Amino acid sequence: MTKEEYIKIAIDTMMKGDADAAVANMNAAIADGIDPAELLSEGYSAGIREVGDQFGKGRMFLPELMLAADAMKAVSEVVNAEVEKAGKSVEKRGVMVLATVQGDVHDIGKGIVASLIKTQGIEVIDMGRDVPAQAIVDKAVEVDADLIGTSALLTTTMGEMKVLEELLKEQDLKKKFKTLIGGAPVTERFAKRIGADAYGEDASEAVEKAMALLG
Amino acid sequence: MANILTRYGDNYIAELSEEDIRADIDDGTADAADRAQIPELTKDEKDYLFEIIADPQKIVSVERGKEVVVSFDAGTLKLTVRNGISMDRSAAILTQERALASDSIELCHVDYSYKPIKPIIAEERQAMEQAQLLSVLPVLYGAMPNMGLYTKPDGPCDNWSELLPAGRIPEARAAQEEAIEHAIKDIVFVASNMIESGADGINFDTVGASGDADVKASLEAVRILKEKYPTTGFEVGMAGEFNLGMHGQLEFDGEIIAGLYPHQQVKMAERAGVSIFGMAVNTNSSESLAWNLARVTTFAKAAVKAASIPVHANVGMGVGGIPLSVIPSCDAVSRVDKALVEIAGVDGL
Repeated sequence: MTKEEYIKIAIDTMMKGDADAAVANMNAAIADGIDPAELLSEGYSAGIREVGDQFGKGRMFLPELMLAADAMKAVSEVVNAEVEKAGKSVEKRGVMVLATVQGDVHDIGKGIVASLIKTQGIEVIDMGRDVPAQAIVDKAVEVDADLIGTSALLTTTMGEMKVLEELLKEQDLKKKFKTLIGGAPVTERFAKRIGADAYGEDASEAVEKAMALLG
Repeated sequence: MANILTRYGDNYIAELSEEDIRADIDDGTADAADRAQIPELTKDEKDYLFEIIADPQKIVSVERGKEVVVSFDAGTLKLTVRNGISMDRSAAILTQERALASDSIELCHVDYSYKPIKPIIAEERQAMEQAQLLSVLPVLYGAMPNMGLYTKPDGPCDNWSELLPAGRIPEARAAQEEAIEHAIKDIVFVASNMIESGADGINFDTVGASGDADVKASLEAVRILKEKYPTTGFEVGMAGEFNLGMHGQLEFDGEIIAGLYPHQQVKMAERAGVSIFGMAVNTNSSESLAWNLARVTTFAKAAVKAASIPVHANVGMGVGGIPLSVIPSCDAVSRVDKALVEIAGVDGL
């Protein structure tokens, strides 16, 4: 099969959330001499982004999104093993500390963001919900994070994102961690106003922005 | 033409050109049409929407003869809790009736979910009887189905929000199915007691907030209640513009619940015995009022066209095009109301 055919199957396996078929396709492609990293990026990652878009339109549902994320994880493990076999070390793309801000208990969206970001080789430390800003900063320092992601669903709690930015500045950590914010009341304008590094409108965009921040 | 003073979905004030506003109207209606597979607004409707948005008056209103009724969710929480006015629920109802000229009101408890009302049902019955004795406007009783209250540690069911990310999908689905049965029982118990205490109707607020299981529990409860109390009205207000598929396979009357948009939600609601359908469309805080309003008007027009029961558009903070802000501006709110009534033809707000 051609690389394009493997890519087509890869996207299809993501849409179906079929981990076994996804892994079988990757193994067959590797045996055919296809670069697994390219197939991962052009096929599987593209597929999971499409799943995210379809979920956002109500055409795919949460269990399917989770199945796709699981399939992506299984394929990533195959690719990592292949890279190791070739004598290269498997490098994480980065570490992200993720939390819903203090006073806010909404975490369905944050959970989806965590699942999708993990599929891109980023280690996600999910601190859960109702997390104080200082605890987020402490955790980022502890795990030597690259990124801090925060979510807020309420107009009354989004101010905690500004508190986080101020804490980072006060503690001279602003240059150490990139910040990514999201949630229904949050906007690009708000992100600029408080000094956050990026804003993700939905889970797919959060993945893109996280990747961009990691360079 | 000078720039037009308008808003973004987070209430942020902005001056946009006519060209930008018209482009946002085009994009907003196209987005709704693409998502729900419904027609876009016509050119005349888009032109009229532009006129409403560009109107130099701070507050706009509907033409005479096009006034609509209003119904409420979180009714007796608006003045007391949200506005911080020290008054009891009876005083709030009388203020709505006699000072604000409301067409109806909803009596509700601050916990605002059916489950926690059970142990205080006697107090709620007394409040309803008192409200009915004092007032002449229709008084509904209402709360949210709030399926999250049935998960551990608050309830008996496993937590599907934890099971799903762990990939335990059959268990997550089973937990939701178990919670549906508990929710139906609680809703029917509370609603029956309130109807027998004189409630003119029952309101189901933010239906679908916990996904398709939440919708199923509500509609099954309405069906039971409608058979039991055929002359009582049931209003169902939705949580969002499509039913979130937390389960994904649940059906009502043989139709998959997840993924339905307002014009499809209303038909399902009709079959359950719902009397008033409260459609909800989420406001995008990053986009302009023009984009949001074109989008919600497109969804609303299709829902009204499909419906054979009254459609009330939810125009609370952050839904229906109303800016997502603690105090949405009156210029935006009045424009949303006018567009939904005059272009989409909604029966109430």
